[in-house]
Amino acid sequence: MRGGVLPPALLFAALAFALAYAPRGVRLPAVAAAIIAAVAVAQAPIAPRWVEYVFFGCWASVIVTAASIHLPRAIGGRVALALGINAGVWAGATVALAGTTLDLAKAAPLLALVVPAAWLVMTRRGIALKVAGSWLIAIAALAAVLPIVPTPGYAPDHME
Amino acid sequence: MVFHPDGADRSDAAVTSYGQRRSWTHRSIAIACWLLLAGPAAAHSGTGLAGGFASGFVHPLSGFDHLLAMVSVGLWGAFLGRPLIVALPVIFPTVMAIGGVLGIAGVPMPPVEIGIAVSVLVLGGMIAGAVRAPVWLASLIVAVFAVFHGYAHGRELPSAADPVGYSAGFVLATGMLHVVGIGLGLINERPGGALITRGMGGLVMLAGVWFLWTALAR
Repeated sequence: MRGGVLPPALLFAALAFALAYAPRGVRLPAVAAAIIAAVAVAQAPIAPRWVEYVFFGCWASVIVTAASIHLPRAIGGRVALALGINAGVWAGATVALAGTTLDLAKAAPLLALVVPAAWLVMTRRGIALKVAGSWLIAIAALAAVLPIVPTPGYAPDHME
Repeated sequence: MVFHPDGADRSDAAVTSYGQRRSWTHRSIAIACWLLLAGPAAAHSGTGLAGGFASGFVHPLSGFDHLLAMVSVGLWGAFLGRPLIVALPVIFPTVMAIGGVLGIAGVPMPPVEIGIAVSVLVLGGMIAGAVRAPVWLASLIVAVFAVFHGYAHGRELPSAADPVGYSAGFVLATGMLHVVGIGLGLINERPGGALITRGMGGLVMLAGVWFLWTALAR
């Protein structure tokens, strides 16, 4: 059992944290790019055989996006846009394969975390973001490994 | 003829019919209550949210050994100040994920219960002794103990559950316990606060002795 709202939600949360360190002018375009990419890719007819790659790409993106907040220098405008598009693509792909448009609608509000996150960075309380970012990295690392090491919980049960 | 409480005269047949109706009404209410009070079938109790995020979130909170170790990591980080106040709560969940993977994979490890008990004992001792370990040593200690805690969580990923939700739950709960520890560590900045913090560390250390004792007795 996997998919649903959690993968795009965690990816969007990681993106919001990363954008808090980006220049103010690029935050909204990056969020818009993420949403547009996610909606577009969610409608794409992705073959079910790609499911493992898509989920791995999603979790790897969570790790990379969340890790970017630990960079010594703030991310630039182009990098922020690239992270936004990347997050949108993988979030949309997971929803296309193992979710519904409603899952995407539930996950999208997490992008608004960029507002309080930016405030934390501005008021020199970015520590909280770095700690929360490490939580996202831990969750994504565990989730990325689950298909490699199947557990009873990962295997589909008789209800699926 | 029978005198009825509402004052109306009724035949025996009418009374019998009235009694039957009342009996049926009572039975219907009783059956409805019984159905409302009946618990759901437990055949799928291990699936869905109950075996996912909620179970994972409760897991570190349900074990006193986990809970004390997590709070101690935050408390020790707050005591050591920058950069470890940030580094320890960042290192712990990241390395804990590695331990979780080892647990899921069933990689053999030294007895985990003893490792967790030692983590409570050592972390409590560090706080009680006001040990100002260098960055590398504090990071190493916390990272080693994180493997044991992650391993325990990984081994207990419930069957037929949502493993991603479960992972998210226990990582978030762990992180929040660190934050609680950091919050408690802020007492340190107040007059006499260091004594209180060290006292808390002493209590944690005593709990660690107890955990180790019980783990060795098994």
